[in-house]
Amino acid sequence: MDRQAQLRWFAREVLPHEPDLRKWLSGRVRGLDSCDVDEVVQEAYARLWTGDRDAIRNARAYLFVTARHIVGEHLRRSRIVAIDFVADLDSLNIIDEEMSVHRRLSGQEELARLYEILQTLPPKCRQAFELKKFQDFSQRKIAEHMGIAESTVEKHLAKALRLVSDAMKEAPAGAQDGRQRERRFWKWG
Amino acid sequence: MEDSVSAGSGNGADIESEATAWAIRSAERPLDRAEQLLLDEWLETDSRHLGAFVRAQAIWLDIDRVAALDGGTQRDVPVPAHNPPWGRYAMAASIALAAFGGTVAYDHLAGRISTERGEVRRIALDDGSILTLNGNSAVQVRYEDDVRRVILRRGEASFEVAHNRQRPFIVSANDLDVRAVGTEFVVGIEEEGVEVTVEDGVVAVDGKAAGSARPRYIRRNEQFVMAATGARKAVLDTADVERRIAWRKGVLVFNGQQLSAAAAEVNRYSNLRVVIEDPTLARAEFMGVFKLGDAETFAGAAAQAFNGEVVRRGDELVLTRQQNSPSH
Repeated sequence: MDRQAQLRWFAREVLPHEPDLRKWLSGRVRGLDSCDVDEVVQEAYARLWTGDRDAIRNARAYLFVTARHIVGEHLRRSRIVAIDFVADLDSLNIIDEEMSVHRRLSGQEELARLYEILQTLPPKCRQAFELKKFQDFSQRKIAEHMGIAESTVEKHLAKALRLVSDAMKEAPAGAQDGRQRERRFWKWG
Repeated sequence: MEDSVSAGSGNGADIESEATAWAIRSAERPLDRAEQLLLDEWLETDSRHLGAFVRAQAIWLDIDRVAALDGGTQRDVPVPAHNPPWGRYAMAASIALAAFGGTVAYDHLAGRISTERGEVRRIALDDGSILTLNGNSAVQVRYEDDVRRVILRRGEASFEVAHNRQRPFIVSANDLDVRAVGTEFVVGIEEEGVEVTVEDGVVAVDGKAAGSARPRYIRRNEQFVMAATGARKAVLDTADVERRIAWRKGVLVFNGQQLSAAAAEVNRYSNLRVVIEDPTLARAEFMGVFKLGDAETFAGAAAQAFNGEVVRRGDELVLTRQQNSPSH
């Protein structure tokens, strides 16, 4: 796999689980000053990326287990830990329903989420992003169209990506109740 | 931006700012030598930098896929040069708003739905009909006041049509029109031609490619094939039809079934067989949702759930408990 294909794999198999992972983690790094959720996710992604991807059969389970290991490492390094935190970590030895069940967003839901996020971007930032991603403009063409320097376009795009990727840390409003919706969803069959 | 890309690990949020800046740069143009060195140095400083960078790159790339879902105009219809830059956006935004209102609205250019290989997607349309899209398939939903039209672009789709005599439901595939009022049927663009299989009710096959002036009626458990060599109709038995549409559900759901029963189910759709020799493991209760045919994921998840391992033996995936594992 070339890097593009690897990134696509990552986007398809790993990223959709991030909101659930963050939610799951946020209740568990409480009282642990040395690590925050962002850092655990970054570290988990680094390990997933450099590890043997061919051996990963269930990226969701792998991601959760890796994150749990990372929290465990922080835990061993830190001296003072809230007692309920240890209890939480112990309870994570089994792969529960939360870990194994995931509802994938439909294309329409993904698109709706993207548009919702775009509403929150500063105007120039959003314009540059939309020209890039929806009109396939090059950076130069965006610069001409908006009457700004190419380096400014790059800054707008970087900021847009930062804001979009921040927003993607949380599940979209409609999918908050993913587990219940999933049951209903499959019942139609 | 040059100064924002500096060494030092920083906290999670700082790392993300730098990671997104690098992701944009490396995606939009080749990095020059100095930049490449800076990036390499930054990545080596802390493994979290790599994680954040990969995340930012993957999100940036994945937005292309999501943006392409925007009505499919990019792939199907060339955008006219005079199109105002926001035309397509405004249209898609109206879909987005409708989606948040609870139902998904479709207009002429929007409503494109596609799947990748191995993915089956089940979609409730806003009239109550249900569309199930097989892997590597694409449809375009065009609902109008007097007709509900779905165009099969590629692959295969199954339809459970909500009854509405005033508003016929028509599936078009390669110049073939399949019209239904309250029924269940499957349309596929196969190598040999367009194939229509009726599970329940009656459909009328019509259109340029149907090879006859009058519509042909296809009934329950019948199959119509419009091949290059001509049209033919076959009668199937119920089991054939069921096998034909087994993909439609696309997933296997286990909700506390014994692992042995779950494995038997998985094995029906896979060349790789999951084998469980340990009797206590075979009786363990299991939960999860798996794609049809994905025996490897199933075996991996079961192994993780019960602290076991998977050993590949020819075309068998043998699930065993680890030697020193406590009983579960």
